[in-house]
Amino acid sequence: MVQDYVFPGTVEQAVAMLAESKGRARVIAGGTDLVLDMRDGKITADKLVDLRAIDGMQRIVEHDDSISIGASVTHSQIVRSTLLRHHAPGLVDACRKVGSLQIRNVATVVGNVVNGNPAADAAVALACLDATATVVDEQGTRTIPFNELYAGICISCINSSCQIVTQISFPKKKAGEGSSYIRMEQRKALSLPMLNVSSKVRVINSQFQDVQLLMAPVGAGPQHAVTAEDFLMGKDITDENIRQAGVLAREQATFRSSAVRGSKEYRIGVLPVCVERALRAAIADAQEG
Amino acid sequence: MANLRAVGKSVDRRDGVDKTTGRALFTSDMTFPGMLHAKVLRSPHAHARIVSIDTSKAEKLDGVKAVMTHKNGPKNLFNAAAPMFLTVSNLERVLDQYLFDEIVRYVGDEVAAVAATTEAIAEKALSLIEVEYELLPAVLDAEEAMSENAPELHAGKGCTPEGKNIPGEIIRIPYGDVEKGLKESDVVIEKSFTLPIVKQVQMETQSAVAQVSGSGDVTVWSTTQTPHPSRAILGQVFGIPASKIRVLAPPYVGGGFGVRIGLSGLAEAIALGLALQAKRPVKMVYSRKEDFIASDTRHPATVTVKLGAKKDGTFHALDLKGIFNTGAYCGFGTELPGVCGAMTLAIYRIPHQRYLGHSVYTNRTSSGAMRGFGNPQGNFALEQVVDMMADALGMSPYELRLKNIMKVNDPWCLPFPCLSTELAECMKQASESIGWEKRESLKASAPHKVRGMGMAVGTHVSNAWPFCVDYDNAYFTVQSDGTVHVASGVPEMGTGVCTSLIQIAADAFGIDMDRISLSFGDTLTTPFDIGSHASRTCYAAGLAIKEAAEDARAQIFDYVAPYFDVTPEMVSLQDGYVFVSSLSDPDAASVVSLDDVKEHKQSKVSLENIAYHAHVRNKQFISTGKIVPKNAPPWHVCFADVEVDTETGKVDVLNLVAAHDVGTAVNPMIVEGQIEGGVVQGLGYALTEEIRYNDSGVQTHSNMHSYMLPTAEDIPPMKSIIVESHDPTGPFGAKGAGECSLVCPASAIANALANATNIRFTELPATPERIFAKLHPQN
Amino acid sequence: MNTKLISFVLNGEPVSVRVDPFELFVDVLREKLQLTGTKKGCGEGGCGSCTVLINGEAVNSCLLPAMRVEGTSIQTIEGVEDNGELHPLQTSFIEKGAVQCGFCTPGMIMSAKALLDKNKSPSKEEILEAVSGNICRCTGYVKIEEAIEDAAKTLRKAAVKGESHG
Ligand code: FES
Ligand code: FES
Repeated sequence: MVQDYVFPGTVEQAVAMLAESKGRARVIAGGTDLVLDMRDGKITADKLVDLRAIDGMQRIVEHDDSISIGASVTHSQIVRSTLLRHHAPGLVDACRKVGSLQIRNVATVVGNVVNGNPAADAAVALACLDATATVVDEQGTRTIPFNELYAGICISCINSSCQIVTQISFPKKKAGEGSSYIRMEQRKALSLPMLNVSSKVRVINSQFQDVQLLMAPVGAGPQHAVTAEDFLMGKDITDENIRQAGVLAREQATFRSSAVRGSKEYRIGVLPVCVERALRAAIADAQEG
Repeated sequence: MANLRAVGKSVDRRDGVDKTTGRALFTSDMTFPGMLHAKVLRSPHAHARIVSIDTSKAEKLDGVKAVMTHKNGPKNLFNAAAPMFLTVSNLERVLDQYLFDEIVRYVGDEVAAVAATTEAIAEKALSLIEVEYELLPAVLDAEEAMSENAPELHAGKGCTPEGKNIPGEIIRIPYGDVEKGLKESDVVIEKSFTLPIVKQVQMETQSAVAQVSGSGDVTVWSTTQTPHPSRAILGQVFGIPASKIRVLAPPYVGGGFGVRIGLSGLAEAIALGLALQAKRPVKMVYSRKEDFIASDTRHPATVTVKLGAKKDGTFHALDLKGIFNTGAYCGFGTELPGVCGAMTLAIYRIPHQRYLGHSVYTNRTSSGAMRGFGNPQGNFALEQVVDMMADALGMSPYELRLKNIMKVNDPWCLPFPCLSTELAECMKQASESIGWEKRESLKASAPHKVRGMGMAVGTHVSNAWPFCVDYDNAYFTVQSDGTVHVASGVPEMGTGVCTSLIQIAADAFGIDMDRISLSFGDTLTTPFDIGSHASRTCYAAGLAIKEAAEDARAQIFDYVAPYFDVTPEMVSLQDGYVFVSSLSDPDAASVVSLDDVKEHKQSKVSLENIAYHAHVRNKQFISTGKIVPKNAPPWHVCFADVEVDTETGKVDVLNLVAAHDVGTAVNPMIVEGQIEGGVVQGLGYALTEEIRYNDSGVQTHSNMHSYMLPTAEDIPPMKSIIVESHDPTGPFGAKGAGECSLVCPASAIANALANATNIRFTELPATPERIFAKLHPQN
Repeated sequence: MNTKLISFVLNGEPVSVRVDPFELFVDVLREKLQLTGTKKGCGEGGCGSCTVLINGEAVNSCLLPAMRVEGTSIQTIEGVEDNGELHPLQTSFIEKGAVQCGFCTPGMIMSAKALLDKNKSPSKEEILEAVSGNICRCTGYVKIEEAIEDAAKTLRKAAVKGESHG
């Protein structure tokens, strides 16, 4: 039963407030998932530590080589950001797909990642961007690579009773780079993805250099389609190679069946074409400059 | 009526201001001093016996005022749906449930209920109730439930030659000689179809507030579609005389679509049971999840069609069979298979027909009424087979239908005549709107996409007879100031009765709508009516009001005739003025008082003057309308243009056109709204909506995030066309308009999918997953 | 449990109310403040009937901890009329037939208002996106979209004439 609800003014205060409660407090960001999890008894807490009042957390910040997204940045902010439309169109597309406008106005991108759901839209889109997360706790501040945020299926490495992810950052788009996000869904709003794929490519002279290809839900967190990525490195951009990447991704993927979000068979069946579409969209973005 | 001033006009809804400003009151908004909140403990098992139940800890919790279980609940068998009270005399009522029973028959079945001072305390109390269950074998599938080894859900009930667990009557509709007809046919096509469990998902969950007075009078505010039948059922459940119970909607109901015909889930009964115990008002509001798992769904079904035709396309024989999974309790399990059969057989002129249909008990949430009531299931199956027949004969599906559709006065299986149909005109206008002539040359928007068009046609009823009892009444009072008060038992659940019934009253009587008020949806202030369902409200309640208005007119004419010094037949009433039709032009005539009119026979007298004139002479004009509606078929078509992504199975509906013959459209804007809303529900039925169960009998789709209702972004371009006819049996020629719109869209969309992919989909919804599986069988 | 006093501006007027630390705002509105115009169709963010505006943005009040409302400006359906005059959205919803059962209507109008307050010339796509989190089971959305478009037109005309609609 929640006994207290607090608004720390700084990150340090927030960490102290969490520590005070010795594991019985919890960070609340947008809260759109947390509220339901608490109602259903999946999560309990005595105290909620709301990050809203912490200065700077609500901002998308452009640095020289990177962009950072603060812990309180909502999906709607991402959707409206022209900066991100240029540097991370896949992330913008992914955020536009989340829930409904009302949910996007509240739900945070960082929360979407910290939740640990492997197929969370924004998380999958971020996973291909070489992103890192800044984590603060009593021990101090650390920067950890995106893929280390996941401990298992729907299990986050972040312990929200003592740690705070203050921001997620990723490098800006460079010449020849492009990224994309594709998902299969049962309806156009208010739906979770049946499966999703994100991709970032660097294209030089019509050849693939650097390919990031991620898919979900196939494990703990978005997973790299490693064999497909390796296969594409240095290859010409041809229909045949793109198709082959889809086939390789399928060989690697191990989906499970969900009564609500699609059978294993369907997910495996459409993965190759989702991979193809993601790659083509990323290439198009790269070629657009 | 010569001059229609209100009927046929798209006047604004009377409830518009209240509903757009937040002032409109719904059951879930009601609150009373001392009111308690009810919560229900529900079975986690699909089939079990309650071995023991201990509520002592819950009872001791501060704030808990009443606890009810099978041990202290009422012990009267009932049927929570309207058949409890509306079963026609040639069928037997199926009474198979107690408010709380020792046996629970589906995941969600009621085990106990608590009333407490807050919802949180009630919730907490539930967690303190200790229940020991003995698990019983459960069966979810209808076929299995009919087999010899299946567990019996209701001991001793439903053992028939067709199989086990079949509640109520097996419906057989014989017509001609179907065996002979099939033999004489040149082409016979047979196919079975599987229809899913879908849900009404009306936006206001099932709710009720019950209050018991010191003298034992009961008032129940509820989300019911049928106040009068709900009252009768409550009386039966608790052994309370119906005359001591008042059921009303307060005044609005947040959607219905069939789910509240009878009791609203069991909200009224649970609230009342607890209120009787606690002697305080009790409010019961279903959570959305409870609404999903513990209130009626549409019947999932298997429908088999065998259609025979002559080489020239003349349909010659139709053999139809429908098996309906009715879940844990029978509800409408007898009536609904009947409607499915009758509505499916009634579309085409076929000399040899046969239908067999029945329900089957299983350990899942009860099925009940949902908009269309059995018709969408049958229509889907038949309309697929009609397209298959067109293919087999090398005819266009349009021409084949045109050749066979019912015409006025054609013989059919129904016990009332077909006196109006503009179905051919509906087909013509809808096909032109969608561009049907381009069907053979449609172009998809990308190489991996295919495109197709499909159509479907259908009919429905305009009231519940002959499937249920159906008659109606209205009170009509001319007040001493000449304004009118009308009382009708139907509630306002969104379909616009509080406006369209006034339109009918206005023109039937001859005054402006503004001078009429309407009481509705309240058993205390309105005469008996069977409720808002079966597309009957405008048709049946409208007829009762029209009859009452005409009676009141006649009373007025009798009263004024001597003053005019003419016979009553010579007098007329229009726009609130009485005049002698042969002598005056009411628009131009001057106004005089009744006492002076003898000298000014070409003048007119206001109703206000007449009513007051009568009043001071101890007279009021009051009438009742008492009618037994005949029935009349509305007709409708839907055309769909779709595109399928062959790589993913995803469907884009590019265009939907629906054309409906609803007789006279009393309020065309409201009728359009009925069409559009139903078409979108049909879109969901076709492509996304479905409740499934896991092997333990737990619903896997039980909230708004997993049950895929269409959202605003999922809506294709749509057009609704009203083709008016004049049905001699309806008020001002009107027929039913509420349900048709949901019947054909899934049939048309599936036909379009078949046209696009060359694959016949036999199972709904046609999700990307099902389509992909058929397109890529190797996967 | 220490209840907290929260203060905010509700439909233009300052309000203070005691809430439990994890009470949801929809319940505060409906039960504590008796503003039952805001509906609760699901309590899980899946229907939009509970939509209110917080600092002008549409949110689901059923997912909103009441504590979050501290210091904000809230608008509910009860605050949409302007000095007893219907807002163009309300008029258009009535005139275009966008209301049936009316249970989704308050949330629908709030979502539409959030859009039109910022954008008086929305495209059809923008309108549909704005209400995509508002389920309407009655109307099929056609007339709702028409009504919002119609209200936008009225607002544009009023803007030319210099009238204001809050
Ligand atoms: S009640 Fe809040 S979204 Fe349904
Ligand atoms: S009008 Fe009933 S849900 Fe929208």
